[in-house]
Amino acid sequence: MLEIKNIDVYHGDIQAIWDLEVTVQDGEIVALVGANGAGKTTIVETIAGLLKPAEGSIIWDSVCINKLPANKLVDFGISLVPEDKSLFADMSVLENLEMGAFRSASRKQKEKSLEYVYELFPVLKDRAHQRVGTLSGGEQQMVCMGRSLMSKPNLMLLDEPSLGLSPLMVKIIYQALKQANKLGMSILLVEQNVRLALETSNRAYIIENGRCINCGNSSTLLDDEHIKEAYLGKI
Amino acid sequence: MLNLLVQSSINGISIGTLYGLVAVGLSLIFGVMKVLNVAYGEFVVLGGYISFWLLTFFHIDPFLSIPLVAILLFIVGSILYKTILANVSSMQEDLRLKNSLLITFGLSLMTPQIFTAVWTADVRSITPAYSGTSLAIFDYRIGFIPLLSIITCLIIVFALQLFLNKTYFGKSVVATSQSWKGARIVGINVDRTYLITFGIGLAIAGIAGVMIGLIQSLTPVVGMHWTLKALIVVVLAGMGNLWGALIAGIILGIAEAVGVIYMGQYASVIGLVFFLLILMFRPQGLFGKS
Repeated sequence: MLEIKNIDVYHGDIQAIWDLEVTVQDGEIVALVGANGAGKTTIVETIAGLLKPAEGSIIWDSVCINKLPANKLVDFGISLVPEDKSLFADMSVLENLEMGAFRSASRKQKEKSLEYVYELFPVLKDRAHQRVGTLSGGEQQMVCMGRSLMSKPNLMLLDEPSLGLSPLMVKIIYQALKQANKLGMSILLVEQNVRLALETSNRAYIIENGRCINCGNSSTLLDDEHIKEAYLGKI
Repeated sequence: MLNLLVQSSINGISIGTLYGLVAVGLSLIFGVMKVLNVAYGEFVVLGGYISFWLLTFFHIDPFLSIPLVAILLFIVGSILYKTILANVSSMQEDLRLKNSLLITFGLSLMTPQIFTAVWTADVRSITPAYSGTSLAIFDYRIGFIPLLSIITCLIIVFALQLFLNKTYFGKSVVATSQSWKGARIVGINVDRTYLITFGIGLAIAGIAGVMIGLIQSLTPVVGMHWTLKALIVVVLAGMGNLWGALIAGIILGIAEAVGVIYMGQYASVIGLVFFLLILMFRPQGLFGKS
């Protein structure tokens, strides 16, 4: 279980996150929704260890992880699928996926994990030896998710997985996401497409200007008047 | 005339592989860390001076001293990284370039003074007993030392390529060069990768320095010359291609050696002309990706 307790996060002198509390139970899909610049990416990058909170703590399975460097968190089963993908553009699809199993614990199960990723995204098997920089945006998103899955995560942090993708591609990505969740993986999902996020997740947090202004069951939030007005468009 | 051209080309290859090797080290550091080390040539000189001492005081053959020089320069690199570059390497990429330029420029101004204090301003050469000997190939002669130097350069580049492509740590270096954020996400300790890369880069500089001390000579101020040669070769070859850097080094070496016949002391202008032409017409370099 992930527990974020009252964190403040700064970008230089500017405070981006104020006194935030978020929890993700085992096996849950939790969405962080909000407008551009609300601080959603900052939150997941802080959990992933790329940013450090000035105040508060992040607890994962009773261990305080907010002082640990990003590269150590993979061993705790936490994996980030970043918004900018951060792929190794000059490496092949297969090499990128293999890098996902870089840590020795996941290296041992590399072949099995690879099979699982190819099952979720069969197109990656066909493109195994193609340079990642030459793939389409959707295929790159698959590689990025696949790379994350190769580390056998217990918690996947997904930052805007549908950004810039065609509706068909979004469907494929979300199907894979739900399938991975069925096998027990918890997911913290950052999404600007609020309807999609609320329909996919169990619970959601609404983030505005670095603060959580509302949270609850996604189905309840879908009917919330403020959310309808601000994010879904009132009909 | 043909004889002279071929003989000059042979000499050019031996100096060219050294240009290539120096460029390989510089481009490894820049490619992975996005840090431009303009004091790189100073470490070439340092490697040469260490080998000079090892021969003078301990009678260690310069070629046998190579592993020792490499280890010492690796340690120097690790210490320098920890003390002055670790902070720069945690910045955004554009800031890394600017800050590393300033820091290493300062270093390149400082080190010649240290070299002068330790080794004096005299011209030093590493001269083992076999330094005058040469081998005959058909009608041409190649010095024993230049031949060994060419072989050593090829072995080093081959070994580096093997390390980067075949080992887990090497792959983590390549991954970090392509996306340091991606590298951190998959569990690579980027800080340690930078430290080791910087160390390897300086070790390569030291190795090149040993052979430069054997083939040419060492003075406290010759470092900048080697930094410039390495920069020319990196621009000529394009980033991130080890064999490309070696080939570009050889092209420059041959062009200069042959150029001497026609242009005398102005032959070193050839490199700068290459530099300008490549930047104007093929900025990604001869072997780089566009």
